[in-house]
Amino acid sequence: MPQGDYIDLHRKRNGYRLDHFERKRKKEARESLGIKGKMIAKKNYAEKALMKKTLKMHEESSSRRKADENVQEGAVPAYLLDREDTTRAKVCLFFLFNNTIKQKRKEKAGKWEVPLPKVRPVAEDEMFRVIRSGKRKTKQWKRMVTKATFVGPAFTRKPPKYERFIRPSGLRFTKAHVTHPELKCTFCLEIIGIKKNPNGPMYTSLGVMTRGTIIEVNVSELGLVTPAGKVVWGKYAQVTNNPENDGCINAVLLV
Amino acid sequence: MVKYNFKKITVVPNGKQFVDIVLSRTQRQTPTVVHKGDRICKLRSFYMRKVKFTESNFNEKLSAIIDEFPRLKEIQPFYEDLLHVLYNKDHYKLALGQVNTAKNKISKIAMDYVKLLKHGDSLYRCKCLKVAALGRMCTVMKGIGPSLAYLEQVRQHIARLPSIDPNTRTLLICGCPNVGKSSFMNKVTRADVAVQPYAFTTKSLFLGHTDYKCLRYQVIDTPGLLDREIEDRNIIELCSITALAHIRAAVLFFLDISGSCGYTIAQQASLFHNIKSVFKNKPLVIVCNKTDLMPMENLSEEDRKLIEEMKDEAMKTEMGASEEAVILEMSTLTEEGVMSRLLDQRVAAKMKSKKIGDHLNRFHVAMPKSRDDQERLPCIPQVAGEKEKRKTEKDLEDENGGAGVYSASLKKNYILAKEEWKDDIIPEICDCHNVADFVDSDILNRLEELTSEESLRKAEEEEVGFEIEGEELTEKEKNDLAAIRKKKALLIEESRLKKSNAQNRAAVPRKFDKDKKFTRKRMGRELSSLGLDPSSALNRARSKSRGRKRERYDDLSNDAMDVDVNDDEQHKKKKMCLRSKSRSLSRSRSVSRPPHEVVPGEGFKDSSQKIKAIKIGHKSHRKRDKAARRGEADRVIPSLKPKHLFSGKRGNGKNQRR
Repeated sequence: MPQGDYIDLHRKRNGYRLDHFERKRKKEARESLGIKGKMIAKKNYAEKALMKKTLKMHEESSSRRKADENVQEGAVPAYLLDREDTTRAKVCLFFLFNNTIKQKRKEKAGKWEVPLPKVRPVAEDEMFRVIRSGKRKTKQWKRMVTKATFVGPAFTRKPPKYERFIRPSGLRFTKAHVTHPELKCTFCLEIIGIKKNPNGPMYTSLGVMTRGTIIEVNVSELGLVTPAGKVVWGKYAQVTNNPENDGCINAVLLV
Repeated sequence: MVKYNFKKITVVPNGKQFVDIVLSRTQRQTPTVVHKGDRICKLRSFYMRKVKFTESNFNEKLSAIIDEFPRLKEIQPFYEDLLHVLYNKDHYKLALGQVNTAKNKISKIAMDYVKLLKHGDSLYRCKCLKVAALGRMCTVMKGIGPSLAYLEQVRQHIARLPSIDPNTRTLLICGCPNVGKSSFMNKVTRADVAVQPYAFTTKSLFLGHTDYKCLRYQVIDTPGLLDREIEDRNIIELCSITALAHIRAAVLFFLDISGSCGYTIAQQASLFHNIKSVFKNKPLVIVCNKTDLMPMENLSEEDRKLIEEMKDEAMKTEMGASEEAVILEMSTLTEEGVMSRLLDQRVAAKMKSKKIGDHLNRFHVAMPKSRDDQERLPCIPQVAGEKEKRKTEKDLEDENGGAGVYSASLKKNYILAKEEWKDDIIPEICDCHNVADFVDSDILNRLEELTSEESLRKAEEEEVGFEIEGEELTEKEKNDLAAIRKKKALLIEESRLKKSNAQNRAAVPRKFDKDKKFTRKRMGRELSSLGLDPSSALNRARSKSRGRKRERYDDLSNDAMDVDVNDDEQHKKKKMCLRSKSRSLSRSRSVSRPPHEVVPGEGFKDSSQKIKAIKIGHKSHRKRDKAARRGEADRVIPSLKPKHLFSGKRGNGKNQRR
């Protein structure tokens, strides 16, 4: 009765089969055939490409390169240095002037620096689905939201007869996967509320989350502290994916 | 308790392979084609099916892993300890726990995404959701990759453990490394353990079996033990310690008195004293091995003293029986002594246990009651006592190497003309004839005889037929039997005749009497013309073929012949005639009473009173009937629109019946 390491024992006593190595070689060759072979080949190619890239990177640092001579703004060649540059001042002034105006405009508009400044606008018929109601199903004043929504913990529906916008419970989300841009790690944080939906104030009030929506998340997990010593527990984040297609909300923290 | 089979655990694929297997299965076994223009419910169900199918596959495979790997609490304590020593209980439990968590996570993912898929309104959206779901499941599997690799290693090792039964008769061989345990094992059993000159050749437990007195004994070979504290011991040594601790066996402690193993007797003695606590309640035999290298006499004084000490220790632990240190050189004799001691010990233990009552109750030795004081000894004829025991085949087998090595020669006792023919091989076909046909020289004659005998017997059987068992009937009995049979036949005939006689139907069937010529009258006329009195015949004919009202019919038929009867009367009589005719023709119809007939229980004095009462009754409801009002006897519908027939949704059916 074979016991313990009987395979090794047998090999030690009796050696390998006469055709052992040939069979082994053939078996390994067979692995490169078929759909599995294609997958293996693809993987190998990806690995090879990656390896080449890393090698090149390492080579770059070891080789020496010519230093880049950046030309400064407004730099003049030596033979023109003596001239007074009135135009430049004017240009400078002009630039300055422009800059402040732009900044002021921005502040007035309430625009902030966000990772996704522009998003594709979502049409109303894409956002809502018309629900027919009534005895003869002719009334069409009800709408059902087809995107991910957030309703908050204290939410209760209006009486079904009177609610105009239906937010299905299957599309309600409470948590978001938030990435910290500097730490490069992702946390699963609770949503506190919707700050702004770029498609319109109606969607903000409804709580619809599409790509580019600014949401407020509970960051007490991260343990951030203000310079004054207070604990930060809410921060803004911007949604970076289409939640209705992925089934989850991915966001980037706005620091 | 679940029965685990360590050798039949399914292979645990590693993380990547697992994912590949399940995903390719999903791709092959679910429908693959769906069109953008299809109905939305079809799209949704297509993708939901894929998600659910993948989830169920993962679930199935992970459950199989969790079920097949043994739970440490449910297996024997010996195996539990052994597995702990080999694989580390905590690591093992953690790995299985991770697999379980992964299973639950995958189920949750599938549930969530199926809920989301119900809200998918386009092909692209459903497809994205399905991709997300499968992707998340595969990420979960990636996370438990290391656990799966560990479990696969455990499975491979566990399948190769020897299947030791901790409850049966066992011998355990222990001692220092390189003392000759494995060589002993090889000699005594058929196990082929590797024997090498270096220490720690045996790295795990090995199992072999021997027979002694028709009982099977397990022999367990352990790796050598070093003289260390229990905490310092490595895994290999811990294996043997586990075996010593859990298995109730006879222990053979091997001692190498020649010192060729590399350890002196002193070192071996100290090892013995270190582990003697494990030998409690086990029959212990100290085996001094390698006496061919150094015979016992050449041992020095202190060595001998050490051995004596060990023997004393051993005798202390033994339960009362005396014990000898056995000096052995790989002979089978010592094995006998050991095993008989083990057997005794096992019997003693059984006698002490509580269940002995059950066993003893099953035995009952019947002793005949002595009727007088005379002593009657068993009488054994001298011849039987003198004759020496015949050598049996089993003894021969044992002598020549045991079962498997010696095969008994079945042709030994053949009686042949010449002795050297015994070993010849008998061919089956020779000269195009079957040899078996010519086994006997007059086989054809025998065949003839047999067939003739057979045919004779058959003929006899047919002749005899059925007879009263064994007895022959006498002449008189035979006659009686014939008479009885005849009478029986007659009776049968009579009853048949009765059944089909004139009481049930006309004596003359209708097909012969279409004109209805065969009447009673005609019969009467014919009979009177013959000169016989027809009245009795006529009466009998009437009584048997007609019903009750034969008098009336008679009168009527007579009256009908009369010419000068009143029209009214005739009319009345005709009416009555018709009625009575129809009545009497259909004998089986029941007749209701006429309304004026007085029935005794009703309470009327006479028929006129009854008629009056009926008239008053009719009068009382005549008015109401004329007014067509609903009465008590009319049908009432309690509710014209019952709720259960007019409410509720129904699919495609009607509401005639609900």
